[in-house]
Formats: sequence, C-alpha cells, structure tokens
Amino acid sequence: MLFTLILKQLKMLSRNKQPLIILLVMPLVLITILSNALGSIMDGEEEQAIQANLVIIDDSSWDQEKDAIVNFLQQQGLTGPALESLLLQFEKNDPAHILKNNILNSDEIKKYIKVEDKQKADMETLREDMKIDGILRIPANFRLDYIETAYFNKQKLLDLSLYLNQENEIRASIISSILTEWQSEYTKFLALSNAGVSPEQILNNQTSVEKIEQVLEANERKIPASIYYTVGMLVMFALYIPSFLAGFALQEVQWKVYDRILLAGVSPTWYTLSIFITGSLVAFIQQIIMLLFGRFALGIDWININAMIITIVSFSVFIGSLSALLTTLQFRTKTDGIANLFNGLVITVFSFLGGSFFSIRDLSETLGKIGDFTPNGATMSAILSIQKGQDLSVIWPFMTVIYVLVIICILLSIVFFPRRGVAE
Amino acid sequence: MLQAINLSKKFKTKEVVKQVNMEMPAGESIGLIGPNGAGKSTTISMLSSLIIPTSGEVLWDGKSITKDPDPLRKKLGVVPQEIALYPELSARENLAFFGRIYGLKGELLETRITEVLMKIGLSDRQRDIVKTFSGGMKRRLNIGAALLHRPSILIMDEPTVGIDPQSRAYILETVKQFVEEGMSLLYTSHYMEEVELLCDKVYIMDQGEIIAYGTKEELKELVSSNQTIELRVNLVNANFEKALTNQLPTAIVRTEEELLTISMPKNEEPLATIFAIAAENNVVITAAIVKVPSLEDVFLHLTGKALRD
Ligand SMILES: Nc1ncnc2c1ncn2[C@@H]1O[C@H](COP(=O)(O)OP(=O)(O)OP(=O)(O)O)[C@@H](O)[C@H]1O
Ligand SMILES: [Mg+2]
Repeated sequence: MLFTLILKQLKMLSRNKQPLIILLVMPLVLITILSNALGSIMDGEEEQAIQANLVIIDDSSWDQEKDAIVNFLQQQGLTGPALESLLLQFEKNDPAHILKNNILNSDEIKKYIKVEDKQKADMETLREDMKIDGILRIPANFRLDYIETAYFNKQKLLDLSLYLNQENEIRASIISSILTEWQSEYTKFLALSNAGVSPEQILNNQTSVEKIEQVLEANERKIPASIYYTVGMLVMFALYIPSFLAGFALQEVQWKVYDRILLAGVSPTWYTLSIFITGSLVAFIQQIIMLLFGRFALGIDWININAMIITIVSFSVFIGSLSALLTTLQFRTKTDGIANLFNGLVITVFSFLGGSFFSIRDLSETLGKIGDFTPNGATMSAILSIQKGQDLSVIWPFMTVIYVLVIICILLSIVFFPRRGVAE
Repeated sequence: MLQAINLSKKFKTKEVVKQVNMEMPAGESIGLIGPNGAGKSTTISMLSSLIIPTSGEVLWDGKSITKDPDPLRKKLGVVPQEIALYPELSARENLAFFGRIYGLKGELLETRITEVLMKIGLSDRQRDIVKTFSGGMKRRLNIGAALLHRPSILIMDEPTVGIDPQSRAYILETVKQFVEEGMSLLYTSHYMEEVELLCDKVYIMDQGEIIAYGTKEELKELVSSNQTIELRVNLVNANFEKALTNQLPTAIVRTEEELLTISMPKNEEPLATIFAIAAENNVVITAAIVKVPSLEDVFLHLTGKALRD
C-alpha cells in the first residue's frame, strides 16, 4: 500500500518536466557556473594553495657517495658480507631516498605538494621564481655525514638548507610540515644512535609515511568553490521537493483522485506517511546525484563518507517531514498559497541565511549563527565541517537542529491535519 | 441496502441538501436527476462516505457509515463527475494504481485490469498516457477505475457529460450490462433518456430537495393530465413568447433555439390560439407536434424549468 503510493508519487515527479528541471537540471547548472565563474574570485590564490611547489636540489646522490661510504665502513673495520648487507640497509634508509621516494611519492601527499628534482641548480635564481614555494638543498656529502652521525656516533653537522617563499603561507606551511615531520623522523634515528642503540635495531624502527599523511590531514582542508557551491546548491534545491509533493497532493484533491484513494480505504495518516517517505527518498537521491556530480564532473574528493551519509540522511528526513507539513497545510487551506509562499520567499531567505550563495559569516557573525538554525544552513555547515577534515563529532549540534525541526514539522502536521476530511 | 435518512448538508450557512430520504435496495438501479446545483453530487458524496452530513444518517445494511465507513467502501464503486485520473500515467498504470490501493496484486490484479480494459473498450490504448486521450476515452477510463475491486454497488455521477453520442451509447450499453449482471446502481444525469434507459426508479431533486420519487411510470402519471406541444419556428420572437404566456395562463413555455416547448393541461385545445398568436407576431410555425409525456416533461412540470441550461 505504502509502496504503491510512493511509486505513484515518484512517477508523477519523473513524468513532469518542471520538477526534473528544478530539482536536477537547475542545481547542476548552477553548481557548474558558480564553481567555475565565482571559483576564481573566491579561491583566488588559495586554490593553488592546495598544492605547493617544492624544488629539491640534491648536490649529491647515493651512487656518487657510495665509494666514500664504503671507504668509511672499511675504516670502521667492516668487510665482506657484513659490509654489503649494511650498505644495502643504509641505502634503503637514506633519508634523502625516503623523502623523495616514499614520502613525497605517496598518493595522499602528492595532492598537496608537487616536487621538482634538480641537481646542482643555482638557489638564487630559483628564489626569484615566485611559483616556487620552497627549496630544499641537500648538500654534497649529506649521505655519508648522516651515516656517520646516525650509526657511528660521529657528530657531523647535517647542513640541510630549506628556503620557504613566504608569499603564500598556506603553501609554505604544507612544505614545512612535511619536511619537519621528515626531519623529526631521521633525527629520532640520531637520538637512538646517541643513546647507544645499534644500527640494526635503529633500522627496524621504520619511518612511517602515514604519520606525515596524518599530519597533513589534521591541517584543515581549504574548502574550494566547487565544494562550497555543490553543497550550497544541494541543500537549497532539496527545499523545492516539499512544495512539489504538496502541489501534487493538492492536485489529487482537486482532481478527486484523493476521493478514490480514501474510498479504497487508505487512511489520511498512511497517505501523509507516504508523502513523508517519498520526500525523504527523493531528497536522498537528489543529494546523492549532486555529490556524484561533484565527484565526477568537478573532481571533488568527498572525505568522511560515514559522516556525510548521516548528514544527508538527516536532511532528507527533514525534507520528508516538511513535505508532510506543507501537504497538510495545503489540504487545510485548499490552495497552493502556502507552497508558493514557501517557494518564493522562505527558500530564498533560508538559502541566503544558510549561506548557499556566499558565506554569510563573512558579512555578519550573527547572521551566520542564525543561518545555522535553518535546516539547509545547519546541513551545509555540517557538510563543510566534515569536508574541512574535522571529526564526526562536529556534526552533532547541527543534527540536533535538524531533528528538532523534524519533530516540529511532524507535530504541526498532526495538529493541522484536517480531521473533518478534505473533500469539504 | 444503502439508505439516506433525513440527510442534510450545510456549507457554512448555505443549505445545499435538505432532508433527503433515499433508498437503494440491492440489485436495483436508481436514477437521480436534477438541474445544475441541485445538490446531486453533494448527496452522492454523503452516500459514499466522502463528506459528513450536517444532520441525518447514511445507513449501509442498517448500520451508520459515519462511524465505520469501511464495510460500505469495500463494496462500493464511485465514478465521480470529474475525470479522477492521473494524466501523466498510462491507462494501465492508472488502473494498476487504483487496483493496488484496494489491495489487489499479482496475477489477480493483472486479470482484473485486462477484464476492465475489455469492458471499457480501451485494451488497444492501455499503454498510452491518459493526457493524450479524447474526452470519451477518459470518461470510459474514469468508469473503469471504479470497477477493479468488483463493487456490488456502483454510484455514477454524470458519467457521460461532454462526450460524443457514439461514446455515450457505448458507455450506456456497458452500464446496462452491469445492471443486468446484478449490480446496484445509482445513476445521476442531466439526460432523461439515459435515466429512462437504465433506471427502474427515479428521484428528482431540485434546490437540495427531493421533489418527486417513483418508478418511471408513476412519475409520468404525475403529468398524464398534461400535454406537451413542440413547435418549430423560423424566428424566435420575444413578443411571441410573451403573448403565449399571457394568453395561455396554464401553460409553461420554454425556448431552445428554434424549438418551443409548451406544457399545459390536457383538457385545453390550444393549437388554434397558438397559430393565431403566431400570425399576429409574424412568426412562421414550420412544425407542431403534440407529445406523450417524458421524464423531461415531468421535470418541467414539477420545477417549471428545464433540466439543462
Ligand atoms: N465544498 C463546497 N463548498 C461550498 N459550496 C458547495 C460545495 N460543494 C458544492 N457546493 C454548492 O452546493 C450546491 C450543490 O452542488 P452540487 O455539486 O451538489 O450540485 P449538482 O446537483 O451536482 O450540480 P451539477 O449538475 O452541476 O453537477 C451548489 O450551489 C454548489 O455551489
Ligand atoms: Mg454534480
């Protein structure tokens, strides 16, 4: 029964051009336009801040230093297979090698940093290139010095030089956070060595690329225009669903099909419940389409899928309850006045306050706070927080707002439902 | 049996149905006729449990339907005056929806749909979207949608308005078959000939009241003391009409384009007077017929107005 009613409502939606245009085509077009046109204004240089350019000038290489290293090991009294195996381990644990091949080569880190490898370049000329955010210079005998210091307790000065272009702080900070983490990894080796731990034991203590990834993720992701407007349009256009469903319901009353439904023994409660479920379902599908569009057309990488699902399911439930409420109110007034008012005024005000068009917080902190109490604003803030990389726990205050609104809508639907029948 | 007992309905202060008493015994076919706004549809809505009477009762097998409409609803099929269908769905989808909400499903639903489509003659158009249907086809589907659950009592509210004579004949034939198969029928119409064809008993309603009731024969008895004269004239003339009413005080005159209908007591011999008045007013009478009474005349006699505007 419920399924029959829901299926019929879905058919009505899908066979009318207007809902398809307003619920799908318009938001997709707007997302595309806004994230491209306003994207450059909004993101400015920050879009590129996501990816920092690092140049590594390596004045040396393992092969170039190999002879010197073998020489040094022989001086330490090592020969034959012992020397060979240690040499192999050292090569594998060479910090420069780890930095270039493990850390900077990880997929996650590559998103944030682009590396150019140069040999014997002039640091001064590179510094003038404003596109470069950081230059790391590895000195000529870095590898040998490192081995001596790390494994043989000889206090050599590891003379790495790092230049950061402070023009863009965010990009510079990405580079410095990666390199700091790297440095702290290999200085840990140095500390272990100083504490008298043998080279073999130190080598078992593996450097973790993941740790650096975590450091990067803990850094808040910057929200680019594409994410901002996808979310903005997603929450705004879901608000059009209730008036379509309420409009269809009113049509059913006017066409007298509602009489037929009543005569078949379907109670008004079941009927309203079917609208609630249809509204939730359509909102969910619509949001999923928007998110997939963001993913595949705009290349957005949505993170924390669990939190995203909780958020959009909650917002969908709200859309369902609002659909039920608008239907009830239209049944009571027997005109589409309320749905029109909702479409014309309420959605505009809510979208404005909720920040669908621009971040209202930039205008006024108070308006921003008020916006978080609109269903769309709460949902948008929740999704953006998730996408900044914050924990699941940030969404609970927003979800509280949503479910309080859900309860209000349901209670009002019950209060306002025309008990004496709609036919009169 | 479905009964209306002292049924009244007020919308705000306007009383549109007044103290109506009706009876629909099982297996009988009842007609309900009356002009626009008489309150027929409102009465039907109360009888079918869709609106609650202001006062009075509707009884189904002796029990009030206000408290528990379900036993009636299960047995009842209603064909509303409006086309109550989903224009964006196909004929078959519409029927499937209305069947499903009655709890039909699977094989049974499919056979019922096919059966109904046959009855209403729409089998070959079943996959088409209702929006694309002609008025007559929509009317037929509107009837079909009330039949899926095989009601034992069928209420039809002007099922033939606005369709061509061919479709109308088809629908009437179909409905007649239902009656012959033993279905109880309440049939509302502006068209007397439809009611004459289909119904055993007739209620006549005007301004919210039942003004006459009986078998067709009983009703015609009411006017058997009357005669109806139909005149075809070349040019209707207001003076002519006025003169007729003045000089024949017992007559009720009405005009419909070139057709003039005069209803008056049988014992008078008005033809000579009529022709004289025509000559005085330069009206040429091209044909004159003295008719036996029809339900239409009964109606005219009782209300002083035509059934249709
Ligand atoms: N919901 C309503 N609210 C107020 N008045 C109503 C309502 N429904 C019907 N009426 C009024 O009640 C009167 C009777 O209407 P009803 O539809 O029952 O007439 P009807 O006999 O079916 O006429 P028709 O032959 O034109 O269908 C009309 O004057 C109509 O305006
Ligand atoms: Mg009517």
